[in-house]
Amino acid sequence: MAMKNRLLYVISVVALVLPFIFRNVNFQHIMIMLLIFAGLGESWNIITGFAGQTSFGHAAFFGIGAYTSTILFYKFGISPWVGMLLGALFAAVVSAIVSYPCFRLKGHYFAVATLAVAEIIKQLFVSWDYVEGATGISIPVKPDSFWMMQFHRSKIPYFLIAYVLFIVSVVIAVLIERNKMGYYLKAIRESHEAAEALGINTTRYKLYAMIVSSAVTAMFGTLYAQYILYIDPFMVFGLDISMKIVLLTVLGGLGTVYGPIIGSAILIPLSEYTRAFLGGTGKGIDLMIYGALIVIVACFEPRGVFGLFQRSKKRGAQYAKTTA
Amino acid sequence: MKKLLVVLTILLSLTVLAQEVIKIGAIFPLTGPAAATGVKIKYAVEVAQEIINGEHPEIELLLGKSAGLPNLKGAKVQFVFADHQANPELAMAEAERLIRNEGVVALIGCYHSSATKPASQVAEKYGIPFIAGSSSSAALTERGLQWFFRIAPHDGMETVFFFEYLKYLNQKYNANIKRVAVVYIDNEYGVHAAQMVKEKIKDYQADGFTIVADVKYPASATNVDIEVQKVKGAKPDAIFHASYIGDMTMFVKKYKEFNVLPKVVLSYCGGYQDPQFVINLGKDADYFAGPNATTSALFKKMPILAKINEMYKAKSGVDIDGPTLEDFASAIVIAEAINLAGSTEPQKILNVLKTGTFMAPYFVSGRIKFGPDGQNIYSASVMTQILNGVYEAVWPEQYQTKEPVPQFPEWNKR
Repeated sequence: MAMKNRLLYVISVVALVLPFIFRNVNFQHIMIMLLIFAGLGESWNIITGFAGQTSFGHAAFFGIGAYTSTILFYKFGISPWVGMLLGALFAAVVSAIVSYPCFRLKGHYFAVATLAVAEIIKQLFVSWDYVEGATGISIPVKPDSFWMMQFHRSKIPYFLIAYVLFIVSVVIAVLIERNKMGYYLKAIRESHEAAEALGINTTRYKLYAMIVSSAVTAMFGTLYAQYILYIDPFMVFGLDISMKIVLLTVLGGLGTVYGPIIGSAILIPLSEYTRAFLGGTGKGIDLMIYGALIVIVACFEPRGVFGLFQRSKKRGAQYAKTTA
Repeated sequence: MKKLLVVLTILLSLTVLAQEVIKIGAIFPLTGPAAATGVKIKYAVEVAQEIINGEHPEIELLLGKSAGLPNLKGAKVQFVFADHQANPELAMAEAERLIRNEGVVALIGCYHSSATKPASQVAEKYGIPFIAGSSSSAALTERGLQWFFRIAPHDGMETVFFFEYLKYLNQKYNANIKRVAVVYIDNEYGVHAAQMVKEKIKDYQADGFTIVADVKYPASATNVDIEVQKVKGAKPDAIFHASYIGDMTMFVKKYKEFNVLPKVVLSYCGGYQDPQFVINLGKDADYFAGPNATTSALFKKMPILAKINEMYKAKSGVDIDGPTLEDFASAIVIAEAINLAGSTEPQKILNVLKTGTFMAPYFVSGRIKFGPDGQNIYSASVMTQILNGVYEAVWPEQYQTKEPVPQFPEWNKR
């Protein structure tokens, strides 16, 4: 346990220091996106990795977070920090209302239901005039201000906010994993019936997991909107976002705190750098490399890159035993 | 050792003598759902770069004759391409990378209005000029940005153009067009176009125009039976369409199936303007109409455009189309502005863009001038109508290659 914690501390410190050493804006942008998606992966991992309830619709909560703060700022001038908390609250409420009936569904049916819910919410926003519908919202540019969550002179404040949110999501994931709730969720994942037979209120714990997961996801939505300064329903509620979260967590390793960190540390820089170097050719080589890597990992190590580490560690131990 | 020193000295002096290269960022959807269009635009911008950097006295543009930018000692221009995959987040990231890492002095792009929005905000933040060629959402020039310019007419201007054309048909051909139906896709492009119709029709109510149907369909529609029945029930004289190539093709097939026979169908810049429209539908594409920055029928009347098209066709294998020509124009205009400013200093380029008039002999309007909001005040469009499979220029009269036909014939008599 102590060893595990130590590794997490090292990762946290390295992630914090890097953008101050490499002051290139492109690198800082990659670090911000990396932390946002690692954090999103952590929160998605709570419901899918720990509790085994596959959600393909997390973009719904991400979008609710982005839209709540943006509408409050755009229409009423309310600080995005307030919007972030309200967005998390809305997302939690929506997730509770939506997922309660969905939890009756198991396995693939639940996954399909979450996908459908996200699409429905996207369509609602597309045709909702009050939130500017399909036109999207360009967030008005204000002078640098912490209270308004806008920074134009440097990316470091955005990075620090992403970092804090990321740490919050990791701490929540670690706390859940190492407490009673984590064991309950894993029991539900392994066997729903067995967990119920042991007296676990499966619906209640799945609901808790979903609420926490969606609230954290929504907070990242607010940061994303303030960082890009433009949102439309296709961008924040799109299947792209849901799939990216799924992809990087599965690639890194499902059901572990390290999975999303490893996955996003590989995928985000890979996609950003290949696009920067090869995207201008118009041949799609960047996307081919991106796709090929995912296929390779999926074929050779379905447990993700984290599984690869564990396997090599086991082999190392065996080797040590045989040579001793 | 001595030899090495000599070689190094020669290399060094060559580098000093080498002309300065001025980088301009070009952000387009080179992969993703609009990749085909993005790659065509890339070819057009490459043609613009060849014209600017090479000696092309046969193309009478300001920068055609000389090699490079004459006011900057023949400095060459290099367009640095970046791909936004139709994703606003990537457009924003690429704009920032191009400005900070590549050191571009200006940006052009992004085709999708939704990508142009965040990318141009980045340009505004860094104080770098941004010229959008073909992004048509009116919202772009309503943001009060200082560094943003747009060449294409926006959907508000297109709507006015539609009503003026209908008035022309009523006056000249006694077409008696009054009832207008609006059919549009439920994304930013379609919804905004429909809003513009509702807004602009107020100015044309005195001419007898009314909206008789407002039909919105989902972007993911695979069947438009209900929508087409709604249109048919409203008995419109004119249909305004804001649709992409796939859905537009679907609608035309259904119009034929349900025997919908309006007098005119006018399309906002989208599916109709794509030459694929004629390939998909053959004879059924005839009589549809819409504004276009160019059409191959105009090449005979406009020799400079014909020469540009020749260079473009050698790369792409097809004739240059409207949106692509608008993005070509953005590349030429930014290079001319840098040349006229005689400097790569952003403020000087901005002053030229704000005050200058740029010759554009490849457009029927012949020139480009940006208003205080950054919008090109000269609409670069002609009304085209497909007649016998060819996009003919039908209005304004001075550019007419064929007379317009203000009535759809029976579908089985084509």
